[in-house]
Amino acid sequence: MNSQWTLIAGMAVVTYIPRLLPMLLLSKKEISPSFSRWMTYIPVSIFAALVASDIFFWNGSFNVNPGINIKLVPSILVFLVAYKTKSLLWSITIGLGGITLLWVLL
Amino acid sequence: MKIETIKSGVKISSPVIISYIALGIACGVVLYDAGMSVLGIGIMSLLVYAGAAQFLAASMIVLGASIPSVIIMVFFLNLRHVLMSASLSSFVKERSFGFISLFSHVLTDESYGLNYTKFREGNWSTDEAMAMSLSTYGTWVMSTVIGGAIGSQFQVNTVIMNYALIAMFACMLVLQFVSREHLIAGIVSAGTTVLLMVLFKHNISLVIATVFASFVGYYLEVRKNRHTKPEFEGSNEIE
Repeated sequence: MNSQWTLIAGMAVVTYIPRLLPMLLLSKKEISPSFSRWMTYIPVSIFAALVASDIFFWNGSFNVNPGINIKLVPSILVFLVAYKTKSLLWSITIGLGGITLLWVLL
Repeated sequence: MKIETIKSGVKISSPVIISYIALGIACGVVLYDAGMSVLGIGIMSLLVYAGAAQFLAASMIVLGASIPSVIIMVFFLNLRHVLMSASLSSFVKERSFGFISLFSHVLTDESYGLNYTKFREGNWSTDEAMAMSLSTYGTWVMSTVIGGAIGSQFQVNTVIMNYALIAMFACMLVLQFVSREHLIAGIVSAGTTVLLMVLFKHNISLVIATVFASFVGYYLEVRKNRHTKPEFEGSNEIE
């Protein structure tokens, strides 16, 4: 593909600006207490959005049938394990084990 | 940077490294099938370093999309990094322009999640954060190149590998439930994301839902503080 360099350059610019500018500008500034309190709600919202946008969808469509969308049941397990152990490694292990089992069985 | 720092940084990222190897190879394969050269794939991973965006680019090119339309979609897909970049800014205040330029380039959903979780736990230095992020960066670049070079002879189950990362985010989510308001913000964000995704079928839903839910959480906190202690000043001890 001849145009791959244009594609790469364009993608690099639009990816780097949103990554760089907020960190660069905000790290040089005194941030007001209310702004930093609001910011503590960003991570929880981001993680919830990342998880929800994935586990409730199967092949690009909303799907809450646990027999088809095999991410649902392992996700319940992962939440329980995460709550009990607070361990990333345990959560990933249980999640991967669960989804692999369902993939093989169904 | 000391060897110890690099070691402790890289140790944390091992689950991400394993997933990046599998997903990187798969991404290299689809980019190669979309018509890119192996060199192009390597340069793209070095300069763009965004898995979801690179998968998206491959599938759009195969469907015959124009270059500008791919770039615009990638921009919207990666807008969520604005919030992550802002959220990490308070931890890199002491660092130079050069450090921030590189550290922000290697910011991904996964490196953000790990670094934010570790910074919040305490005893996590910016050098460890950089070492960790660079280890996943290097892994991604190499894996996509390998994927491009070996082509489609190698099958990766992307559903299962991607789920490793989702399980990791689910655990990070649970770790963020530090107050009732944070729990509610998470639930609101999840609900809003699903609703907007169904309506618009677009990843910008994540950004809108995150901003909305964070305001809901913050509003509830302000309201609670107003009711319980009218003279609240610097009551930042919640974490």
